[in-house]
Parts: sequence; structure tokens; C-alpha cells
Amino acid sequence: MALQLNLLHEEIAEQRQRQRDPLKLGMLALVGVGTLMVLFYMWKGYQTLEVKSRLAAVQHDWAKVEPTVTAAQKRSAELNGIINTTKVLDTMIEGRFYWGPFLQKLSRCVAPNAQLTALDGSMNDETKLVTVSAEGVAAGREPRAAAEELRQLLTEQLSQSYGNVSVEFKVLEDLDTIVNVAGANMAMARYTLAVSFNPVKGDPAKAGATPAPARAAKR
Amino acid sequence: MNESKLSKDEIKKIALSGVGFVVLLYVYFSFFLGPLNRSREATERTIADLQAKVASSKGELAKASNLERQASDATSRFAALKALSPEGAPIAWFPPRMKVFFGNQQIERANARLENSTPYKEPELSSWVRYSWLIDLPQSEFATVGHAVAELENSEPLLSIAKLTIKAVADDPQFQQVSLTANTTIFKR
Repeated sequence: MALQLNLLHEEIAEQRQRQRDPLKLGMLALVGVGTLMVLFYMWKGYQTLEVKSRLAAVQHDWAKVEPTVTAAQKRSAELNGIINTTKVLDTMIEGRFYWGPFLQKLSRCVAPNAQLTALDGSMNDETKLVTVSAEGVAAGREPRAAAEELRQLLTEQLSQSYGNVSVEFKVLEDLDTIVNVAGANMAMARYTLAVSFNPVKGDPAKAGATPAPARAAKR
Repeated sequence: MNESKLSKDEIKKIALSGVGFVVLLYVYFSFFLGPLNRSREATERTIADLQAKVASSKGELAKASNLERQASDATSRFAALKALSPEGAPIAWFPPRMKVFFGNQQIERANARLENSTPYKEPELSSWVRYSWLIDLPQSEFATVGHAVAELENSEPLLSIAKLTIKAVADDPQFQQVSLTANTTIFKR
């Protein structure tokens, strides 16, 4: 077996040492990975730019539409406001109590011998109840009967149009005064009627459109 | 065999390379790729929002034109009700209007005075104010008043009579003294 002598052993070992230098290898790996990262970043950057250009196009579209849409939204809000306000106003208008028809009914009930001297009526906004106080004088052989006749007639007439009608005497008293009616002397009575009713029955709002000119109370 | 073993110096260099690699990854993801992705995602979200807005805008326009058609009655009615409130302070025009109205109803003497005014609580009526008036008709006849009241209620839809008082005039039983408390809804000008 031939003997081999490696006289360059040290130089070869040094060269090998340089070739497998971990720092150098690490740097090479870093550079390689860094390059890949840069390429990936550029690809992502390109995608981002593409998305941005898409955004610009959409913004341009929106800028064209926006004034019209804003105006339409504003108009819609305004119209909704008008509709709601009109509804509330219509409810108020329809919920009113019409005094014209009431006065008409009252005038039809008052006979010549049971005259009214004062009338005081009001409507409660919360309960929607109408209360009326009617003062008057009745004359006749039986003045109390004349007043009672008025009360009954009033109850009957009001019940035709209104709900929960109540007509009660608050005061009914004979007077000492004697009056002459159609040449006959008659006794007198003073009365006060307390009337209350609920205007909601049927459609009182529409019924109030026209007062009847028929007969008015003679005072 | 000795050559395959790493020397201390080599181990240090490998550790240094590892640290450099970690730093590189951190910097890359934190300062480059992360912000870029976030920016792209935000842009995509903005695009989605805008596209949704553009898509819904067509619906909004259709809805508005539809509403415009449906609201034509309400609009004209609202305009008519609004027209009942002339320009200027109600105290300036309402009493003369009542005087003219009752004059036309053959009731010569009519005085209207303002009792109070209150804003409505309902949000729909934020532009409207409720005025309460006391209308005195010192000399009138029952039948005439009945007609006048009915006519007033028909011609003034925003007026409601809250209180009515009729009293016989002592000196002249043919006539009555009438007092009305009327509430009107008036548009704020």
C-alpha cells in the first residue's frame, strides 16, 4: 500500500473552514429569504394598488349618485313629516266637537213655555266629555211638568247623536211670579239642567257640517 | 470526526444568524406586510360600503318617487291647512278675521282677544302652536249665532270651540250675549 502524504493539509482545512462559515451561510440564507419577502411584498402592493384603483372608481360612481340620493332622502324625510303632521292634524279636526248641531238640537227641544235664559257648555280635552249647564224658566199650569218635558225631550234628541247622555235637574223650584201667556195667567218655575254626554257616537264630525235653520229658541 | 463538530465561534455565528432572521421577520411583518394588508382590507371594506350605498341608492330613489306619488294628497292637504295661517303674528290677523267673519254672519259686534298660546308636545306638530282666543259677541240672536258657529266650525277646520256661554241680555230679551273660547292651531311663520 502506497503511502500518501498531504502536505497541504492545513490550507485545505482552512479553505473548508471558510466554506462552511455559519455566518456567511446565514447571510446567504437571509438574503435569499429577504428577496422572496420583497417579491411577496411587491405582489401584495400591486394587489393593494389594484384595490385602491377599484375604490377610486366606486367613489367616482358614488359621487355621481350621492347628491341625488341625499336629495331623495331629504325629500322622503320631508314627505314623511308632512304625512305624519297631516295625520295628526286630521285626527284633531275629526276629533272636534261641533257645537252647531248641538245648538240646533237644543233649539228644537225648547218649547215656548220653557225658555232658556243661560247656557254654559264646555268640552273637556282629556275626557272628551261635553258638559252643559242650561238655566231657564218654565211657565204653565204645571210649570215643573213643562220643565220635565224639556228634560225628556232633550235626553231623547241628544241620545240620537251622542253617547252616554245624561240630562239631570240641578235646580227645579217654583217661583212666586205669575206670567201671562196667551191671555192666561200661569205659574212659573226656575230650572237648571246639567247635561253631559260623549260626542262620539256614529259620526258627529260629519253630522256637524250643516245646521238646520228650522226652529230657533224664542227668547 | 472532529471536523463535523461545531466550534464555539461557529455556534455564536449561527445564533447571530438566527437572531438576524427573527429580526428580519419581525420588521417585515410589522412594518411592511402588516400595514399593507390592513390598508388593503380597509379599502376593501370601504368599497363594500360604497357599493352597498350605491345599490341601496337605487332603492332610495324608487322609494322617494313612490312616496312622492303616495303623498300627493297629504301634501296638498298640508298646504291647504298651512295656508290657513297667514304671514304675521296671529294676534294681528285673527281678531280682524273673526270680526269680518261674524260681520258676514249678521253679527255686527265681535271682539276676539288672545288668552294664551302654547306649543304642542307632539313632535309632528313642532311647527304649530295652539292659540286660545276668547271671542265675545255681546249682542246676537240665538239662531244667528247657531248658524255662525256652524259656519265657523266648517270654514275653520283648525279651530275648535272649547267653551260656549250664552246669556240673555236683561234689557233686551231678544238678544243674547255670547262668549266663545276657541282653540286654533296655527303654523309658526
